Amino acid sequence: MIEYFINLAILINIYIIVSVSLQITIGYTGLFNIGHIGFFAIGAYTTALLALSGHIFFICFLASGIVSMLVGLLLSITMKRISKDTFSLVCMGFCFIVFGFFLNWTNITNGGLGLSGIPKPNIFLLNLTDNTQYFTLTLMISIVSVFLIHRIVKSPVGRVLEAIRDDELATRSLGKDVFKMKAISVLVSAFFAGISGSLYAYYFSYINPYMFTMNRSITFFLIVFIGGLTSIKGTLIATFLILLIPEALRFTVLPETILGPIRQILFALALLLLLIYRPKGLYGKVEV
Amino acid sequence: MIPQFQVLLNGIISGALYALIACGISIIYLINKFYHFAHGGIITTAAYLLFLFYSMLKYNLIISIVISIVFSTFIGYSLDLIVYREFRKRKTGNITLLIAGFAMLVIFESFIIMLFGADVKVIGFFEFQKVIDIYGLLISPLQMYIIFLSIFLLFSTHYLLQYTKIGKTMRAVSSNYEIAETLGISSERIYSFSMIVGSIIGAVAGLLIGLEQNIEPIFGSNLMIKGFTSVIIGGSDSLSGAILGAFFLGVIENFVVWYLSPVYKDIITFFLLFIFLIFKPEGILGIKKGVKL
Repeated sequence: MIEYFINLAILINIYIIVSVSLQITIGYTGLFNIGHIGFFAIGAYTTALLALSGHIFFICFLASGIVSMLVGLLLSITMKRISKDTFSLVCMGFCFIVFGFFLNWTNITNGGLGLSGIPKPNIFLLNLTDNTQYFTLTLMISIVSVFLIHRIVKSPVGRVLEAIRDDELATRSLGKDVFKMKAISVLVSAFFAGISGSLYAYYFSYINPYMFTMNRSITFFLIVFIGGLTSIKGTLIATFLILLIPEALRFTVLPETILGPIRQILFALALLLLLIYRPKGLYGKVEV
Repeated sequence: MIPQFQVLLNGIISGALYALIACGISIIYLINKFYHFAHGGIITTAAYLLFLFYSMLKYNLIISIVISIVFSTFIGYSLDLIVYREFRKRKTGNITLLIAGFAMLVIFESFIIMLFGADVKVIGFFEFQKVIDIYGLLISPLQMYIIFLSIFLLFSTHYLLQYTKIGKTMRAVSSNYEIAETLGISSERIYSFSMIVGSIIGAVAGLLIGLEQNIEPIFGSNLMIKGFTSVIIGGSDSLSGAILGAFFLGVIENFVVWYLSPVYKDIITFFLLFIFLIFKPEGILGIKKGVKL
């Protein structure tokens, strides 16, 4: 039983990093990045490939963040001359391409069969074979990440991002480099999505492309919108709610093949109803 | 016969399919001014309804096609009525509509996975797929139907928009809905109408693709990405731009598959999108406007 709660707690830590990083783009900058799970996938695959070739935890972990960031840089170049709507379209395309890439590039990623046997992380000769130790590691990383993101969004950069969300033209007329700021927000969020993907790959020690389809990212969006835009506290609470409540479904007799889609449908319906009846979420300060 | 001609023909066939999808997306985008992300769900639903009625319940092909089109159009219409209208009433921004469309897409896909399973399905209509040889070019009757039907539908959509009364009304709402409303046009009805027209075209595209290839729950969204890419490549301001972009994309894609490998089929789509967004974001036929926000 205690093992079950530790597993759940590890997942909560990982989801917190992803959702808070998504909060930067959606909540603060107002860019609807549908393809956020693509960065998560890139992080997970980078870690898996590096760890399978025998690299230590720190290299895999940082490399995941940096590779995601570089891909994010590529994605944000397109932002220069297009509207926010079109950018979310590009993100959707990006997500599909990442999925297709990992699925079709069979000689490296092993295609739909996925990569298995990812070793447990080792830090300074200390092997984290136990889940309790791994929980401590993810907890520390998620606390540091949330703290860093909190510092970023409360800094002058964060205020410029909020200004861009509210009125892009006015921000530009104040002499701010809007494109650079948007790119920074995408890069930061890509970095944190990448490192959480790394933790995810280490935790499951098996990944395949179907874990990173666009449908899966509905959970992250629901977390961000339940918590409320521009509220990191809300996001933390919402992560607990969203990961704990559906655990009740586990005790029903339905098989997993039916349960998975049912969970997706419920999440999507919840998101729709939330957008219609309470677009501010729990602690949100702005509406989209 | 030079093999490049065959590749060109295949490119035109896939271009015709992409053009149908791009046309549906474009007509909804032109009138409603937001990207209808749930369009992929309509495409998938149409193909799966055909699978249900034709392959599982063994109905007549024509009857199943009609039922699938009517049902999926009705679903598209009710999406507009139940969800999008609710958001328009609350005067929310475009981003909310995008998120709502995305949520509905997830609902569609999960529903189909729940009912039919995640595996690949075959509709199994083989009579039309026997390849015939015309002066060295290989084409099946179904592919001929695809080309003719898509050209017919594209021209009728163009006719509808340019030369009929309702088309004129639609263009009026598109250019300025407030003035259109003061002239006594119900813009809500026009929004619904555009959604119906777009869903019919999308459903036809879904059926044709379902007959031509195998279907899986994700294929509609995959095609929707191609449709959106075509719209952006060709220029989102006009229907003809979207169609031009679709044929362009189809031909380029087939040539890449022929010269390199099928692995790059999806990657080239994104690569083209990327190149166009950086160097020519208004598209081939697009009109350059001042600051875009």
